[in-house]
Amino acid sequence: MKKNVLIIGGGPSGLEAATILKKFNYNVILVERSSILGGHLAKWDRLFPYMEPAKETLDVLLSNIDGITIFKDTEVNSINLLDKSYNVILSNGITILADALLITTGFDLFQAEKKEEYGYGIYEKVITSAELEEYFKTLNNNKIDNPKKIGFVHCVGSRDEKAANRACSKVCCATAVKQACEIKEKYPDADVYCFYMDLRMFGRGYEDLYLKAQKDYAIRFIRGRVSEVSEDINKSLVIKAEDTLSSKPIRVTLDLLVLMSGMRPSSGGEKIKKMLNLMTEDDGFFSTKDSIYSLQHSKLAGLFYAGAATGPKTLPDSLHEARSAAIQIHNYLNN
Amino acid sequence: MKILTSNILQISPSEVIDRIPDSYNNFVIPFVIGITFIILYLSIGLIRIIYHLEKEERITLLKSLFKPKIIIKNIKDIFNDCLIHTKIWKRKPLLGYMHSSIAFGWFLLIVLGHIEVALFVPKHLSISEGSLFYPIFYRFFVWVNPEHVTLRGYFFFFLMDFVLLYILSGVALAMFKRVRSLALGMRHTTKPSLADRFALYSLWAIFPLRLLAESFTADLSGGSFLTIPMNYIFHNFFGNSLNFMPTWWLYSTCLGIFFLAMPFSRYMHILTEPLLIVFRNAGLKVTKPRVGFAEAEIYACSSCGLCIDACPMNVKKKNLKFSSVYFIRFLRRHNTKKINAIANKCLLCGKCFALCPVGIDSPSIRVAQRKTNHNKYEYNYNQINYSSIPKQSKTLYFAGCMTQLTPVILNSLENIFKQAGEDYTILDKDEVICCGRPLMLSGREEAAKELINKNKKIIQESGCNKLILSCPICYKIFKEEYHLKNIEVLHYSQYINSLLENNIIQVKKEDKKIVYHDPCDLGRGSGIYEEPRNVLKSIGELVKADKEREENICCGGSLGSLTLEQKDRNIITEGAISSLMANHPDTIVTACPLCYKTIRNNSPIDVEDLSEIISRNIIKK
Repeated sequence: MKKNVLIIGGGPSGLEAATILKKFNYNVILVERSSILGGHLAKWDRLFPYMEPAKETLDVLLSNIDGITIFKDTEVNSINLLDKSYNVILSNGITILADALLITTGFDLFQAEKKEEYGYGIYEKVITSAELEEYFKTLNNNKIDNPKKIGFVHCVGSRDEKAANRACSKVCCATAVKQACEIKEKYPDADVYCFYMDLRMFGRGYEDLYLKAQKDYAIRFIRGRVSEVSEDINKSLVIKAEDTLSSKPIRVTLDLLVLMSGMRPSSGGEKIKKMLNLMTEDDGFFSTKDSIYSLQHSKLAGLFYAGAATGPKTLPDSLHEARSAAIQIHNYLNN
Repeated sequence: MKILTSNILQISPSEVIDRIPDSYNNFVIPFVIGITFIILYLSIGLIRIIYHLEKEERITLLKSLFKPKIIIKNIKDIFNDCLIHTKIWKRKPLLGYMHSSIAFGWFLLIVLGHIEVALFVPKHLSISEGSLFYPIFYRFFVWVNPEHVTLRGYFFFFLMDFVLLYILSGVALAMFKRVRSLALGMRHTTKPSLADRFALYSLWAIFPLRLLAESFTADLSGGSFLTIPMNYIFHNFFGNSLNFMPTWWLYSTCLGIFFLAMPFSRYMHILTEPLLIVFRNAGLKVTKPRVGFAEAEIYACSSCGLCIDACPMNVKKKNLKFSSVYFIRFLRRHNTKKINAIANKCLLCGKCFALCPVGIDSPSIRVAQRKTNHNKYEYNYNQINYSSIPKQSKTLYFAGCMTQLTPVILNSLENIFKQAGEDYTILDKDEVICCGRPLMLSGREEAAKELINKNKKIIQESGCNKLILSCPICYKIFKEEYHLKNIEVLHYSQYINSLLENNIIQVKKEDKKIVYHDPCDLGRGSGIYEEPRNVLKSIGELVKADKEREENICCGGSLGSLTLEQKDRNIITEGAISSLMANHPDTIVTACPLCYKTIRNNSPIDVEDLSEIISRNIIKK
């Protein structure tokens, strides 16, 4: 009889792991709480550093899902740890006896309105990186009306203890540079500013993107945090920041401000955590069995993690983890 | 002298006569040593404190001693705080009973002892006739003539026994409290030092020993319901009343030890507190952390430990050592390293001050301590522009940096101003000027004063007659340090409250349960508790928090602390939120941009600012 593997979360990690586990000849069940597969990837337009369309990657991920039992619009109601398996009850009434569980619950974006000094939800012309990405996809957002001056704020809800997140969200620097270039393509006459603490261009091709942004797109990078945002009579935004390289306070008037929301543990993951009393680190993401060798294992036998459920990750990193998790699950089920 | 006494006896038979030749016995020596030491110590201490006061402070103090109003207040406060302990009674009745029974009881014993001497053997009130010890050991020195005892005598016998019983019940409670502090309403109590232990155990022994000693002599010098039966028992057991000498020796020795240990123990507060009250009522304030007025405060600390439970840092036990009581203990011991560590760590929420039964202003001592370390940095405020007020109006609004970082408050207030038809100017619309309080809190008084003077000039020259503030942190310093002439300084909760009371704006009700969080600087710091609550009652149903008003827990965001880590702050915030959630509110409302930001980042339910909820529900004209 085929063994059951249940995957919680239908983002890139979940889809990739499901595809491989299916090839290993397991009975794979994937649960997704929303009505679409692909997670944040499905909402994205293009991917850094080479501007590949997100849809292409998503299409590859979705091309092999035949034979996988997928429940969309479905949540996990309860999980009970049995002797060697997990008894999982879903919100659609179905009960599954899973021999292994893979948690790919990913991340939620930091709620930018919590960082109130940036004025998200208060001033009309303040949007998040996710909204800008959606605009690139649909070209429809009434907040973006031929802006002449555009600013990007890095590290919104990341590396900020007051926003209860000390950690770096890893992807926002490259995303901001990518989006700065893209908006400059759309509005070539606009001045584009990036307010950063330091730029973490760690991946292959990221540094090139950063250089290109300066040389080809004339994006102006200002090292220093934005202290506050206010609105003038014309509904333009007045940004106060410090340029720490010239040690001077600066003031810029902008038509659009984009907040690079960081990654927070997903609310779906929080629910699973409570059901099984799973461990999380200070940053709120799940604890892995160790920090170097067993990144896909949890402390519970038969329960595995992949992707951003264990901390901020880039898309390629998440996909690697999904493949790695599939192999670990295969080893576990054959021992 | 004996002959003289008997001569008098023959003329008019007296109720009470001296029993002991020369009215002296060696057992009084320990007591006399102790009381002499403490009187000398106290005098030198008083001279030291007065020496360290500034000249103007000395003059204010001297003047206050001749103002009838202050004299009456001094007497009232000393009676209430030192003897009756009204403050402790109000919070924890059992603890209050314990304290007042010992303090007031002992005071009564001393006073009644002297009255007895004055009534029956008045010559012993002079110092050459042993006034130092005679009234204390009165029952040892006299013989009461049973044939001549008057009702007056019996009255005093009864009163003295009754008071002793009253004290003994307090001592019993105190002993019980050492074993189980929680029973008397204290979660944590202080760890006594060595001198504390000496003083404590001798204090506990004093009153039972007095009972024993007076019981032994009750057949000679009179007694009542307590001492007479005990005297009867003793006589049946010991057969010989000479056994009583050791108990009188012990009683005197314990008193001596207590007085000798007193200056080095917490019990110094008994003598210092009246002094502190006189200084405080004169209007003196802490300016230096260790000498002058602060010294009176330090020695007035009774080390009771009520501040341990009060301190918001103690939600998790690991921060116990940062409480005021230990801070003051380290100050007494001149432990500079620890003094600085605690002074810098404190949130300055003022809860320990608000709940302190002695009223020791330890937050001010902390700020004074910070001044010794941080006042030396350079500063330059030449860039502040005087010409930045665009137009002149009667009402000036100062947002301050925290409100600038919380645009929803600024927007809501502007809406309220417009609806109220207020002609207003925003003082810091373009350039944010600091009110000076963060500098003040970090001990940089000189820099703060310079800023204050610059701001004061701008405000005074603007020609306004009303200054509205939305940040309690600013409000406190504007109220206390700016001394603005002919300008009414208002927190916006007061302003909105007056708008509602005078029907200038109307609001519609929401079907919501609201809990109000008292910002430290608004509530405890400025005494504004009612206005924001009044405003909220017009919006929805106001529910209570577990701890509120002066007992409210700091939100954890306070600017006061220089070194507290974010992690520890978050724990405090959780504590504050769980107190607010006690009665299952739908919304938390506060009236401080900093509290608002701090609570909002951690709250499971909606958090709104007072101005926001009003602005949303204002009925447009």
